[in-house]
Amino acid sequence: MKLISLISGGIDSPVATYLMIRRGVEIVAVHMDNRPFTDEKNLEKTMTLVRHLRDLTGSPIKTYVVPHGPNHITFARNCNRHLHCLFCRRMMYRIAERIAEIEGADGILTGESMGQVASQTLQNIMVVNRAVKVPVIRPLIGLDKVEIIEIARRIGTYEISTLPGLCCTIVPRKPSTSARLVDVLGEEQKINLESLVEKSLEGMYVFSPEAL
Amino acid sequence: MYSLLKPCKTSAAFEAIPRERFSLDLDLCEEILKNVCTVVAHAGILLIVSDRCEVSIHRDGRLILKTDSIELAGEQTGRIAGWLEGTPAIRKHRDWRNSGRTNPAAGK
Repeated sequence: MKLISLISGGIDSPVATYLMIRRGVEIVAVHMDNRPFTDEKNLEKTMTLVRHLRDLTGSPIKTYVVPHGPNHITFARNCNRHLHCLFCRRMMYRIAERIAEIEGADGILTGESMGQVASQTLQNIMVVNRAVKVPVIRPLIGLDKVEIIEIARRIGTYEISTLPGLCCTIVPRKPSTSARLVDVLGEEQKINLESLVEKSLEGMYVFSPEAL
Repeated sequence: MYSLLKPCKTSAAFEAIPRERFSLDLDLCEEILKNVCTVVAHAGILLIVSDRCEVSIHRDGRLILKTDSIELAGEQTGRIAGWLEGTPAIRKHRDWRNSGRTNPAAGK
């Protein structure tokens, strides 16, 4: 089985990726580059994490880096502010789904866990899920933060994930925690989603496992 | 114009908090700032410019300064504040304050 792992410089996604590699899953990593709403340290951390996971597991990890900043600008300028995190995640899923087609992968892997942040309520996860047709695997869904950190410390990713890195500055002050799919779909009609996906794919670049 | 400079959660940047509440016209800020520094992005709700370091300017006047140096953050905050001093939103705010009223929102 092959999965597209949406990996950030944070604590959760490297743990999720590690758990699935341990189950024998082949991983292709995708990092959504949120600059200029984050900084270059997040990209550096992500690449360090991928190298660490490769060395830890002996599993080669091809890595895509996709520009996501322009998508944020489009959503911020055209759509309901409170739903921003949902637009962001749905766009990440769409891009991951397209990369899954390119890579012949079976699904998407994420580090989401229930209720951890505003965008990860059950209702919001359901809304995000509806953006794609491929399965979305969430090995951390029932774990709490303490449990995830325990694993991260054990596998040596925690120290990397907690290095300085600017949090996303375009996150709304009051993100929606119980979005309705009909509202999200209505807002998304204001923009050309397919064009955004295509532009993101045009701007992405790839690191082969050897080049990491 | 700014009273508090504090490190952000992950210590990757500093946040400058305005002493008074503003509602900045970011289109106008962009017009002003593009003459003195590089405008990186205008997302409607925030403006990102690059000068000595990269700065996110929020509509409420908050600045996120992408540097781990407090000296540089302070210097950059001063430069941005100086450039924005002349914007109508801030002038209007100052007028209300100078008129003796304590609540700028009372002018609405």
